[in-house]
Amino acid sequence: MEGFIDLVMEPIKEVFIKFRLFLPNFLAMLTIVVLGLFLAWITKKILSKVLNVLRFDSWCDKTSITAMMRKGDIWTKPSDVLVSAIFWLFTIVSVMVGFSALNIHAINNLVTQFFLYLPSALSAVLILLIGYMVSGFLSRAALIAAVNGGLSYAKFLANAVRLLLAVLFFAMALEQLNVAPNIVVSAFTIIFGGIVIALAISFGIAGIETAKKIIEGKEAEPGNDKKGDVEHI
Amino acid sequence: MADFYQTGTITTLHRLGKPSLERIEAELNEYSKTRPVALVLPALYSEFEGKAMPKIIEELAKVTYINKIILVLAKASEKEFVRVKELMSPIPYDVKVVHNDGKRIKEIYNTFSRNDLDPGADGKGRSAWLAYGYVIADGVCDVIALHDCDILTYSREMLARLCYPVVHPNLDYVFCKGFYSRVTDKMHGRVTRLLITPLVRCLRTLTENHPFLVFLDSFRYPLAGEFCMTTDMARVNRIPWDWGLEVGALAEVYRNYSPRRICQADIMDTYEHKHQILSAEDPAKGLMKMTVDICKSIFRTLASEGVVFSDGFFKTLQVAYLRMAEDTIMKFEADAAINGLTFDRHEEAKAVEAFTNGIGMAAQAFFENPMGSALIPNWNRVTSAIPGILDMLKKAVDEDNR
Repeated sequence: MEGFIDLVMEPIKEVFIKFRLFLPNFLAMLTIVVLGLFLAWITKKILSKVLNVLRFDSWCDKTSITAMMRKGDIWTKPSDVLVSAIFWLFTIVSVMVGFSALNIHAINNLVTQFFLYLPSALSAVLILLIGYMVSGFLSRAALIAAVNGGLSYAKFLANAVRLLLAVLFFAMALEQLNVAPNIVVSAFTIIFGGIVIALAISFGIAGIETAKKIIEGKEAEPGNDKKGDVEHI
Repeated sequence: MADFYQTGTITTLHRLGKPSLERIEAELNEYSKTRPVALVLPALYSEFEGKAMPKIIEELAKVTYINKIILVLAKASEKEFVRVKELMSPIPYDVKVVHNDGKRIKEIYNTFSRNDLDPGADGKGRSAWLAYGYVIADGVCDVIALHDCDILTYSREMLARLCYPVVHPNLDYVFCKGFYSRVTDKMHGRVTRLLITPLVRCLRTLTENHPFLVFLDSFRYPLAGEFCMTTDMARVNRIPWDWGLEVGALAEVYRNYSPRRICQADIMDTYEHKHQILSAEDPAKGLMKMTVDICKSIFRTLASEGVVFSDGFFKTLQVAYLRMAEDTIMKFEADAAINGLTFDRHEEAKAVEAFTNGIGMAAQAFFENPMGSALIPNWNRVTSAIPGILDMLKKAVDEDNR
């Protein structure tokens, strides 16, 4: 009978011992998570006030960051989006740090991977932001140059520049995130190379005369305007 | 039939003979290929429950030269917005309903506020201004026509005659204001008949025919809410958001364009819409509010043109106005008599007394705050402050209409 009771009690004791060993870790995790959430909440409040004082939303409006958000059908204030993003980042980080306090091998690996991935994710966001600004600037520059050059397809050209740069920066961001890097690089090379070859061929076929004139430095032939004609009343 | 007499400094396009609607519309169809036209309709949801709007939709469905309608819907819930989209669906061309109280448009207004741009209070002025922004953002239409949504006597001929002078490439007017008679069994349009015309003529006397007053006096119906203009004008003109909308808009037209490129067109035989109460006791509503806002707008425009106002000036103005308005009543009494119309002389005299008080209130408001302006900034300034605002506005409207 005693043997049977020992047989029953042994696993319970073992669980209890394991639980006693695990409990401080669990309490540590809870403490870290609660503190982290509190820190995230405080940061949210302070950041919200600071951004308001700095007129962050107005700055976003002026730099077209708000316009970019609206294109994605996000209709909250930029400061609210930033504050929410930072709040959730703090929350996730504190949960991850809390999990690592549990000292479980599988979770530790996951946490390590998360922290290793974080810089890549931030870099990707940064690449997208810079890409948006650069593509906007270069597309505008192309539009102004094309309009000043009297090209009838100025708007189309500007949109094409914007689209190509958007593809380039999107591919860079995906590559940074390590999302199927081989496919991304191959697809990008094929698409971008294809576009450039198509442009080169179409210019070679359709614009051979123009290219010839440009190379020879020939000026446009004078029109039929005759001096002395009345041009307007 | 009207006479062909030309008044003032702008061109008056009369309704002579029996002009064919088919001919005008055929020409407009041709011209609108190179000058696409957008029609702006500022509307309240309550107007869709009235008699006027179903008739307007029925007529607009037959129009073939309008490229796009931008209906700015105010005071409507989400459900009512969806209902309005359904009601507008018989119109076979592009219709965009701007939901003024929707989440996206509210955020657009918040964007203006946080960048120190005041689009003013909710009303026709703000709605029209927002619609102009959409037309500019869309970049398709060169001409914008606007009319109210409470016109009981609406016909598509009105729209055709309004658009014709601006869309016609050889006439090439930049702004066309509609005019019409406001007569049923009696004469309506008290504010135009008994306030604007006598007031402007008194001011002309006191300011030795200031060119702006000559310009304003040239309009047969300066308070008409129907006009057509080029999209370029919508970009540079500032418009008031209060009752001074029509007069303030004319002041901006005067400031930015030569009168040679401005015209007014006789757009319909008779015009009937909802009437405002006089509200002589309460200057915060009805025709009294309209009077004060209109007078303030005229005074501020004249001050900005260099006219110096004093206490004595306004006292003289009130006395001169009262005399001229009384003389005007006699003229209208005779006009009503010969045409067999009902004419309540006492009611007209009461209106003149209320308008005289309104002029005094507007003068007082002008002295207290001569700089105070109800003008909404023009779109050039708005895009300078917020470069991406037009894209945002277009996205908001397009998403709401998806």
